[in-house]
Amino acid sequence: MSPGHTTPRTRRPVSIDGTREELVELAVIARQAGVRVTLVRRYVEFGLFEPASGTSQRPLFAPSTASRLAKAERLRRDLGLNYAGAVLACELLDRIRELEDRTH
Amino acid sequence: MAVEFKDYYEVLGVPRDASQDDIRRAYRKLAREYHPDLNQESDAEERFKELGEAYEVLSDAEKRERYDRLGAQWRAQERAPGGGDFEDFFDRQGYGGDVRFEFGDGDFSDFFGRLFGDGAGMRTSGPLRGLDREALLELSLEDAIAGGRRRLTLDGGRSLDVNFPAGVREGQLIRLAGRGAPGRDGGPPGDLYLRVRLKPHSTFRRQGDDLDVDLSVAPWEAALGATVPVPTLTGTARVKVPAGSSSGRRLRLRGRGLPKQGGGHGDLHAIVKITVPKHPSDQERELLEKLAEVSDFDPRKSRA
Repeated sequence: MSPGHTTPRTRRPVSIDGTREELVELAVIARQAGVRVTLVRRYVEFGLFEPASGTSQRPLFAPSTASRLAKAERLRRDLGLNYAGAVLACELLDRIRELEDRTH
Repeated sequence: MAVEFKDYYEVLGVPRDASQDDIRRAYRKLAREYHPDLNQESDAEERFKELGEAYEVLSDAEKRERYDRLGAQWRAQERAPGGGDFEDFFDRQGYGGDVRFEFGDGDFSDFFGRLFGDGAGMRTSGPLRGLDREALLELSLEDAIAGGRRRLTLDGGRSLDVNFPAGVREGQLIRLAGRGAPGRDGGPPGDLYLRVRLKPHSTFRRQGDDLDVDLSVAPWEAALGATVPVPTLTGTARVKVPAGSSSGRRLRLRGRGLPKQGGGHGDLHAIVKITVPKHPSDQERELLEKLAEVSDFDPRKSRA
């Protein structure tokens, strides 16, 4: 994995009404994941995801971010990982999924 | 409903005299194996929950002692004549009655509630969104083009009516917000993703966004040219078969295929398939014989 390649391949889902989903703010990610804003910031620090656009004052994230954060956090809490370990696990899971998709 | 006895030692695969270290090691190993974010099997979530419950009890000296004591009594009673189930046992011991054990999804079993009461829940670490789930949405090509409504049966037997938009593609993910697993400690639920799979069609063969369909034509139509009807996903179109078309010639009907990512449609290819009358009439046979006589065409010789 090349340096800086920390953004997961985002699957662009279409919601049930068929519209593309909008980028979301930090506070919305926190609400969607059920966690505090500080935890979202911490995972940004650890490189779980990066802002898709926006300014450093008001970064915007892909709509799949909350679900990715919750996955990392479940793994961290349930398996006794630290933040770096949880991020690593998520990245490896992404790569497995990519490989599986490629072989189908 | 009868409360079933749970053998927590068996769940963790450790002997009854296992040390705290053994129990922790066994739990960590199995937790990595069955964590529903790591294991896609449909029973992983249930299994992981069971592991958490077993570990909650056996890793806590007080709970473990209580479980060991009551479990031994229960087994002794089970062997006795007329022994009932665990619930009878509790009622007789006077543990029943005021203990409420209504657990929501994501919590511990009735057995656990019966043994330790409602208050003794999981050690919590704050609200967190639940797992996303994925289900297959199998559609015919016609349905995928037209959109519509479908009843899905999810893992665990729940069923759900979903409306899907017109023009969905193979492999596309459709998100149903909040239809995944329930959140923890009051966190929001995960989402449900429907992965579209297009079923094979008896008439049309799918090649990505394009479709192939066989087009039967009579030898004279193929030789002389004709305009003939061809089935499409939305009805019937007419296609011009140019004079001198042999079997296998692909006639393109632009935009009559499946929806493409980012808009537009693939193409429909009508593939010429020369079909002869099985039982020609006398007159047909006469004309064909005459044709055979006068023609010097040799289809097995490549002609420049």
